[in-house]
Amino acid sequence: MSGYDAVVVGAGVLGAATALELAEAGLSVLVLDRGAPNREGSGTTAGNLHIQAVHTRRPGQAVPLDSEGLLPAQKAADGLWAQAEERLDADLEVRRNGGFMVAETAEQRQELRTKHVWERRAGLETELLDGDAARAALPLLGPTVTAATWCPHDGYANPLKAAPAYLAAAGRRGARVEAFTPVTGLERRGAAWRVRTPRGHHDTPVVVNTAGPWISDVGALAGVDLRMSPVAIQMHVTVRERPVLHHLVQHIGEGMSVKQVTAGNLLLGGGWPARRMDLDGRSSAGVAGLAGNVAQAARILPFLARLRLLRMWAGPLAATPDEMPVIGPVPGREGLYVAGGTYAFTFAPLWGETLGRMIRGQSPRIDVSAFAPDRLTAPAGGADTAVPAHTEKGTAPC
Amino acid sequence: MSADTFAPSLPAAAELSADAAVVGAGPAGLAAALELARGGLDVLLLDEQAEPGGQYYRRPGPEVLDAVGDHRPEGGRLVARVRAAGVRVLSGHTVWGVDDDRRTLLAASPGGAALRVRARWVVAATGAYERSVPFPGWQLPGVVTPGLAQHMSAEGVRLGRRAVVAGSGPFLLPVACALLERGVRVAAVAEAGRPYTPGPAALGALRFPARLAELASYAARLARHGVRLHQDTVVARAHGADRVEAATLVRFSDPGEVVARHDVDLLCVGYGFRPQADLAQLLGCAVDRDPATGDTVPRLTPAGRASVPHVYVVGEAAGAAGAPTALARGRAAALDILAASGRAPDRGERRRLAVRMASLARFTRLTAALYPAPAELVPALARRLPGSALVCRCECVTAGAVRGAAAAAGGSDVPAVKGGTRAGMGLCQARECGPALEALRADGPGTGAVPARVPLRPLPLAAVLGPAPGEDA
Repeated sequence: MSGYDAVVVGAGVLGAATALELAEAGLSVLVLDRGAPNREGSGTTAGNLHIQAVHTRRPGQAVPLDSEGLLPAQKAADGLWAQAEERLDADLEVRRNGGFMVAETAEQRQELRTKHVWERRAGLETELLDGDAARAALPLLGPTVTAATWCPHDGYANPLKAAPAYLAAAGRRGARVEAFTPVTGLERRGAAWRVRTPRGHHDTPVVVNTAGPWISDVGALAGVDLRMSPVAIQMHVTVRERPVLHHLVQHIGEGMSVKQVTAGNLLLGGGWPARRMDLDGRSSAGVAGLAGNVAQAARILPFLARLRLLRMWAGPLAATPDEMPVIGPVPGREGLYVAGGTYAFTFAPLWGETLGRMIRGQSPRIDVSAFAPDRLTAPAGGADTAVPAHTEKGTAPC
Repeated sequence: MSADTFAPSLPAAAELSADAAVVGAGPAGLAAALELARGGLDVLLLDEQAEPGGQYYRRPGPEVLDAVGDHRPEGGRLVARVRAAGVRVLSGHTVWGVDDDRRTLLAASPGGAALRVRARWVVAATGAYERSVPFPGWQLPGVVTPGLAQHMSAEGVRLGRRAVVAGSGPFLLPVACALLERGVRVAAVAEAGRPYTPGPAALGALRFPARLAELASYAARLARHGVRLHQDTVVARAHGADRVEAATLVRFSDPGEVVARHDVDLLCVGYGFRPQADLAQLLGCAVDRDPATGDTVPRLTPAGRASVPHVYVVGEAAGAAGAPTALARGRAAALDILAASGRAPDRGERRRLAVRMASLARFTRLTAALYPAPAELVPALARRLPGSALVCRCECVTAGAVRGAAAAAGGSDVPAVKGGTRAGMGLCQARECGPALEALRADGPGTGAVPARVPLRPLPLAAVLGPAPGEDA
């Protein structure tokens, strides 16, 4: 038995970033994970830093997200990623070389124009290019590209390094990490939470639920129903290649992101569904997703067709039913906070800072009330009716 | 759109079907294919090499045949019988994965075209990898595995002028002889164990005079050539700037004791073979960790049937035991399949085969008992690796880095160590450093083995894309 100022459940990138924030503020912090740190969504993600407005649907995604609603957070995250390596005193392989979002059809071109308007409104610098201008800027682009937006802030970082660096930095400030230690109970004891694990329990006034695809399970231990829609998606990587692609390339239509990582491998992602999600074991990547993602990527970047696939893998994505982030205090459960949802890697420095400020009673850098968890807590009676309001806005132009 | 409304997985793939698909045309795969075809089944035999034969019956090219002849002509005869029995042999076809149904095999043709193979029965005869254990300097040119040295020698290539052969297992002796035959001076053979000192373990092997005579004849040939046979000896380090120039040998039981330092331009190091079980894993077959070898092995019936009943695993993929066992396992699996298909094979034949396999298994056990168990040997060697030694040669990851990741705050498992260091994430996908990675992580929670993944070999993306419009397949 022991006591902490805060216990973070889930040693992914969000939990690690939050732990650092709290430890820097002088709180005693314990980070628990059911497995090894950074092994699930945070370590299996593509590692994109999405600063320009994102496309609204992954392949297989039921509800489009509210791309415009994410822009203030993306802009804030951009500034934090710019300082991340210095702050963590670690090489995260952050590359902020800019990125293209391409379109092929007339409908997709219209989406690009709409998104460009949002970006201008949000004060984010992007440029709208026609197909030839895009190919002039990036000659690797194929002939089917008819338009693109260019954002000089897009980039990527190495997801295998980010969360471990946050954890290490938190550790240097006294935070403790216990891996392979699942949380088995969350009980309210006076003004504190008792966090039970197979290795004993810890009393703390603050519990941070950054359990990714297990957010609902951890919430249930505290008697709260946080409705999540986790899915498993897959990534593909080629053998190493000499440096050819210096930018992130995405597609406005269906999920596609391509970049060349620091080691030289080309990483193909974009949220194609995995063959199977297995939250007890490992999710498995499938051939259908491989074929779909590669066909699309090789159309946009034809040079990919002459490369060899080295490996593919699947990982969970802690999506919410409305595909938007979730962050904030859990209503009716004092001291319990949650953070998760899509694009968590891009938002990690921001969400860590945001939770840290909320827990210490300070205002966050940006207004995150739209992402508050109350929309995910099931109302008494009709659990399936609560599709949040901003879905409508997201659907309109896209 | 949801995951199950996707178009067929590989839209441009040609599709082949057969009663039985045999993957791997080494001794086990050839024996299985021959028996299945004789039993009346339609058999497809897929193999990634240009010619059937596998590593053991590796078929020499025409120039090699002219120059040095065929060192295992029985392999050629077996291949001829397989073809004559009507087996469809697809050489140069790499099986790189299994489709999302966990049943259809995915292959790439020599031209890179995609192929889907559907069969009632799948026989995985995927062979073995050589078991490598890192040591300082193992990345230097001139350091090779014994298997490579044997192949190149059999094809008439003289790999160096002066060599040391080191590691563990009976295979080191024929490799040294093969080098001698090509005119390489073999300075020494270093064996980690003490198998060649008569002891209680050796006595049991006396019941297999023919096999013992084979080993004795290799030993005699080495002695005639003045090759020193060091026992209880391992390579501590390969020296050299741009390529190997010398090797230091030390006592395995006392690494502080230098046994010898030999000037060499060729250093062959290997610790036997480990099953290549990843295809079976992708097919959903249950695997276990072999307590003696530490290897991941499929869980099988005596006839080779896996936990997925239409899948059989034969030959070295079922556990390294040598070519005679591989041939017998291939036949046994085939007879089991024929029996399950209602084509009752000769009972007497099955009985005789069972007797032979039991005898071979005894010999394998006795032989294994002569040499150090890899499950103990590999961790012992890994533990004494200096922190600066490269473990993963593809991604240049040192033992120190792997140990650091394994000791990460709160604990770590093998996939986490890979992710944290990139060890095992390069071109060979941990085929070479896998055992060392697993040993360096040692015990702990989570996954203790390198997982099997698609693609089994680096796959040209063109094989996923299929031909471009207007292009011929």
